[in-house]
Amino acid sequence: MEKMNELLKKYFNGETTLTEELELKSYFLSGDINAEHELYRPLFETFEEEKCETAFEPLKKVATKQTKIKHIWIKTVSYSGMAAAIVLALWIQRPQQSENYAIIHGQRIDDPEYVQRYAEKKINDMNERIQNGLKPLKNMEAVKENIRDAREKGTLKNEITESDKTGNINN
Amino acid sequence: MDPKQFNTQILTLSDKLFRLAKSILRDAEAAQDAVQELSMKLWEKRNKLDEVENVSAFTMRAMRNLCLDTLRQRRDEDELVPEMEFVEPNPHQQTEQKDLAARVRKMIDELPELQRTIIRMRDVEEMELSEIAYVTSLTENAVSVNLSRARQKIREKIIYEQKRVEETIWKR
Repeated sequence: MEKMNELLKKYFNGETTLTEELELKSYFLSGDINAEHELYRPLFETFEEEKCETAFEPLKKVATKQTKIKHIWIKTVSYSGMAAAIVLALWIQRPQQSENYAIIHGQRIDDPEYVQRYAEKKINDMNERIQNGLKPLKNMEAVKENIRDAREKGTLKNEITESDKTGNINN
Repeated sequence: MDPKQFNTQILTLSDKLFRLAKSILRDAEAAQDAVQELSMKLWEKRNKLDEVENVSAFTMRAMRNLCLDTLRQRRDEDELVPEMEFVEPNPHQQTEQKDLAARVRKMIDELPELQRTIIRMRDVEEMELSEIAYVTSLTENAVSVNLSRARQKIREKIIYEQKRVEETIWKR
């Protein structure tokens, strides 16, 4: 009791050593305090509480260069992977409606029967045009045949003339 | 000082630095920012830290100086006048301060910056007077005087409040 009074007097005069202050703290935190000293208990409890207070966001450790590069690579690969996954997901989930359609005169047509009929009609039209386009060529074939006949006759006549001169047809 | 040494010698002080900054600035968020700022500044000058004899005390001193700069910048806004007298809490405040530890904490916070820094460095961080003298750029004797003043003021406040409580009980 007397000792504690003496220590408290020294404490408030700023004359205690660290060891003496530790002794005071353990006395006030022991729970067995003289009623006279109860007054100062909150002071020493506060110091003890504050000692346990920590930074709510501890400082981050400094990374070496090697680990930084490693982290950049990991990040790059991760982001690339995520981007690829998003593209794949969008491709898989794209609307089925957009698979079969045609653009006719600048308009999107989703009715497959209409598109088929339209295509067939266009193909038939094209065939007809091709056939009509070939008609003049048939006449040309007839002309070519006549010319070929005339040439053959001319050649034969010449051959006969030559054989008359030599007496040998096969030469 | 290489990154490994920096991590073990500086970053392990983060809680201690935070408590010091919070005591000076009386604002947890501002204290956190100050600690982050200091760690960045120290990292930039890590090569010079090899020349420092007591890294812990040096870092604490740098932390206090940084906080004092912050206080100077906002002095007109919220810093208390150094020798401001204890203001008697109104009944509403008394109700709010039911927790004894919170009341004592407030009493310490109301001390002038130098006194509250010194009392906490001694009674919370348990630092030697020579270390506190280095951090505060004072002589050991000046530290003792300020420590004594701080403790005496807290004692007076505690006794004053105790009397008020007793008077209130007698009036009932």
